[in-house]
Amino acid sequence: MLKFAFENVTRLVILIDDSIDKAQAIDHHISEFGDVRYHIQDSAQDQNSIYLSISAPSLSPNHFLRNGLPRGTAQTIERIYGGVAEIFEPPKEGFQLTIRIDFSKLPLAEEDRIKVGTEICSLRAVLLGSQLKEMLWTLCSQDDVHGGYKPIKLMYHPGEPFFVIRLPDKITSVFPMRFKDDSDVVLATAFFQELMDLRCSSSWDKAPTCTWSPIPPIELRGEPLHELSTNGGFVSFDILSRHIEGPKLEKTVWSLLNFSAYVKYHIKCSRGFMQRSMRKRLESLAEVMQKAKITRDDKKQVQGCGCMRRLLNASKTKVNRTNCGQFLQKIKRVRLRIRIRGFSRFQRRWLKIPKFHSSIKYSKLD
Amino acid sequence: MANTLRSYLTCIRNTLEAAMCLQNFPCQEVERHNKPEVELQTSAELLLNPVLICRNEAEKCLIETSVNSLRISIKVKQADELENILTKKFLRFLSMRAEAFQVLRRKPVQGYDISFLITNYHCEEMHKHKLIDFIVQFMEDIDKEISELKLSVNTRGRLVATEFLKQFV
Repeated sequence: MLKFAFENVTRLVILIDDSIDKAQAIDHHISEFGDVRYHIQDSAQDQNSIYLSISAPSLSPNHFLRNGLPRGTAQTIERIYGGVAEIFEPPKEGFQLTIRIDFSKLPLAEEDRIKVGTEICSLRAVLLGSQLKEMLWTLCSQDDVHGGYKPIKLMYHPGEPFFVIRLPDKITSVFPMRFKDDSDVVLATAFFQELMDLRCSSSWDKAPTCTWSPIPPIELRGEPLHELSTNGGFVSFDILSRHIEGPKLEKTVWSLLNFSAYVKYHIKCSRGFMQRSMRKRLESLAEVMQKAKITRDDKKQVQGCGCMRRLLNASKTKVNRTNCGQFLQKIKRVRLRIRIRGFSRFQRRWLKIPKFHSSIKYSKLD
Repeated sequence: MANTLRSYLTCIRNTLEAAMCLQNFPCQEVERHNKPEVELQTSAELLLNPVLICRNEAEKCLIETSVNSLRISIKVKQADELENILTKKFLRFLSMRAEAFQVLRRKPVQGYDISFLITNYHCEEMHKHKLIDFIVQFMEDIDKEISELKLSVNTRGRLVATEFLKQFV
């Protein structure tokens, strides 16, 4: 009944296949990004249901340490999974959230089933996105700011933290960009420049203000030095209240959480494009080089009289044999004392020693 | 700019035509060896004066000639960091596949981005005028490729940025 497939380990895709019978019990533990754990277990009571539990580190361990799920998580899950999955209370031991997936409610079409499976796989994004949503709500609703404008460090992907700072009229999110390769830095910088230029144009007035600077922004003053050491600079987005209103909140949260991954994917694609372009150019240049070579046809054109060609084509042994034969003929002619006209023909005709051939045939041994 | 490029390339072409009169010449140091003298540079009498053709400070071409070999080293212009990275990537890509060109040196001469080594054997195997055409076209194509890559990187960046900002609007 069920078929589980892993796509690049980082993403679990559940494909439902009716053709496979549920012959044995399902109890799988899966890890993602090193610190996200999944547990898939079938239900003993109901054969049509399985439980999927998730444990992920909090976006910000220093803030919002409260029990239970963030506000709006249940509604989001209900909205996304549309009755196929529901939150199971209480969650399994050691996990933050457990959902029960009911296969009897799955759509019949194969494509829809795959779509639902893919959506179930984005459970981590839903869970952590809910935390960021709650954070943005809280920050926006705060009238007075306690303890100044202290940056909140968030960690969605391991090793790629970003900061959210509450300012009087906006929320600023700052992304320290780190890249392994110098060429990646240059490509990313070109992208950030384009992002800034585009935002400055009048058609993108409603988008959040985007700034890039190689040095840390003033809001991050006081943060540990290792957090501020980057090679790709700092990208800041100013989130206003209009960006988190209603349905826009979902997209804003998704964009902020996945900004680093978005930039890295762009760089990866650009590198691939460059490689393809360079390969094409190499082929065209190699073709020019091939054309420069002297071919046999070119050689024929430059060749002169035929005797020279014969000499060139003749091998050394052949030439030697011919020369040797001519020399021996000459010696014979010199040593013959009496010259009789037509004697050589007579000799060939009558004084020839007959050749004897053996009638026994031999077969070659292998 | 196009005119300066044309005159620069014409100058290189003329110099190469004059310099590419190579002949077989055995090594004077080692018996039964035949080495490109421009690389060894052991006998001063076998070397000609090197010719340096400059378009500007950042763009130049050095042509070193000897009795049996010719070395051409090219420095490509790199106006900004992006061009610098693209040039490095592209020329490294070509150097790694030097066997496709026969005359391309795997490592460029110090101070230059890419080098070619043409010996008398290359001149025997190939048409001289086509070999010169190849060198000139190679130089043109490098400039063209880097300009195209730069343009496409910026265009892609703009499109990707547009898609990103669309999510907020």
